[in-house]
Amino acid sequence: MTVAADALWWARARARGPLRVPAGTGAPEGLTRLVEPGGHDVWILPVPPEQAGGGAIEEFGLSGTPVEQPNDTARLLAAVVRCCWTDPTAAIWPGADVPWDAVTSVFRHYADRDESAFLRAAVAAVRRLHGAGWVLWDERGRRVRLGPRVAGWSAADLTVLRELYRQMPGPSTDRPTDRPDDRPREGEQG
Amino acid sequence: MSAPTHLALDGLAAQAGTLRIFRQVFAVLAREAGAMIGDLDHLDTDEAILAAFAGAGTDGLTLEQVAAACRPADERLVARRFELLRSYGAITRVVDRPHERYHRAAFAPYVMLLFLRRMAAQGGQGELHQLLTLEGIGIRSPDAAAPDARASLRRLVTVFRLMANQLSGMASTSPVEELRENAELLWGNRQLIQQAQDVHAVVLARWPELDRECTALRTALGAYGDASDAAAARLIEQAGATRALGLLPVETWRTFARTADVDQLAAVLDGLLFDAPAPWFSPQAIGAALASSEQAAPVRTPPPRPVTGCDDGTDGDRRTGDDAPDLRDLVAGLLAGRDEVTLDDLLGAGDGWPAGRRLLARLTAAHHHPDVDVELVWGDGLHVDPGAPVPWVSAGVLRATPQQGQATDGGSAR
Repeated sequence: MTVAADALWWARARARGPLRVPAGTGAPEGLTRLVEPGGHDVWILPVPPEQAGGGAIEEFGLSGTPVEQPNDTARLLAAVVRCCWTDPTAAIWPGADVPWDAVTSVFRHYADRDESAFLRAAVAAVRRLHGAGWVLWDERGRRVRLGPRVAGWSAADLTVLRELYRQMPGPSTDRPTDRPDDRPREGEQG
Repeated sequence: MSAPTHLALDGLAAQAGTLRIFRQVFAVLAREAGAMIGDLDHLDTDEAILAAFAGAGTDGLTLEQVAAACRPADERLVARRFELLRSYGAITRVVDRPHERYHRAAFAPYVMLLFLRRMAAQGGQGELHQLLTLEGIGIRSPDAAAPDARASLRRLVTVFRLMANQLSGMASTSPVEELRENAELLWGNRQLIQQAQDVHAVVLARWPELDRECTALRTALGAYGDASDAAAARLIEQAGATRALGLLPVETWRTFARTADVDQLAAVLDGLLFDAPAPWFSPQAIGAALASSEQAAPVRTPPPRPVTGCDDGTDGDRRTGDDAPDLRDLVAGLLAGRDEVTLDDLLGAGDGWPAGRRLLARLTAAHHHPDVDVELVWGDGLHVDPGAPVPWVSAGVLRATPQQGQATDGGSAR
């Protein structure tokens, strides 16, 4: 792969975030490949070394990309991690595909508000996370997965996350998490 | 009639600008006021008619053939323009006899049309350059005489004077939009002046007796230079720090945004690259967010308590943090065993307005306090003493009341 093609891939990854390409596409230098479950597609995303990753911005005291409602968004991401990370001893990617209600049941522990405000906050947060590639949200099917950006977390980060995982309550859904078809709306639990 | 217009405001403005140039050009030709065309469609029709004649060859065309050749255009409009062109002699009968139906077109009107369109598009700058070149050639030719040179100078003086007047008028009074529309008057002014100066130098060298006309040309050139400088300065000042002289009117942007399709709108940002939204969530931040949510449980504000002040049989104003002893000490010190003391004496002992104000506030508090047995009684009159710390004092008396736990009357406060 030529230098120009590499540069183009980097530019693409920077402008569009994580890229989903068919498996077999030549991965350029320095970009991480994440295989989709099923193996037909791969995600290509830039993962800088740990010292230059997203945490570096914080260390330098700079403000990174601003997020609206950063706390709610972070809480929902934690809820998704809690639900989708099936085995905390293993790698976090790809994780499980869980119903949206399971995620909201965890999120509710950290955002106890009246029903409409709660749902609004949850949907807004998951949309933001989906837009940034942190989670993959199937709005129609009401399913949530972890997004490719979680591969950016380093081993040290994952240790902290495991600790959080242990502290967080699990999803309290009475439906099996792997049910493929989760027909919407039998009333919100809560 | 022309079809109903679909142009937005800026399109109409551009049409109006073109028509204005045409009107100015035609002003010297118009037979009567108000006879100028009012729509650019007419010009397009004229052009189509002339083009139809050009394609027809020497046999000429009938009105019906012309209308057929100009097919997309409105037939009645074509007929009307045809008649008008014929009345001006731009179209003539092939054979001049009654009921002759074949016509042919002259070539001059089309040249005029071409010239007009050029004039409207470029403001006549190119024509001016050509004019100056022609004048230069004319006066350099060996058989040119002093009268030719004089006439040439006069023409140049007139041209530059008119341009300078128009520009300076716009630079000083017109709205800046108009100035911007006519900015082509400013284009290449240095070259114009340079060319005119060349002509001037040649004339002055060949015919020194024409120095009066040459002076007139010099001043005209100076005026034009000044006017264009002023206009440019106004444009630059208006454009501000951006120097965006090509700034389009707001309506142009709006019309573009409304009428452009997605590709056109996207083309605006060609060459710009935006980062994808990539917020970073460190596990520490997530942990902090989770930890902070525990305190974020809904804060329930307690309902307002009923005011229960009368349960101990005393007045509702009584508070536990009462200042009655304090006030009692104060009035005891002030009264010093007397039954009453005038306000005049009390305030006079202080050192000015602030101290007096404080004292009066506390005395008023003591007066209203049910447990302090004093009252302030205000009378008529005003004591004025310019030398005293408090130069004027209303007549008032601080008086001890009998020990019954209540102020004697409610009306004694002023």
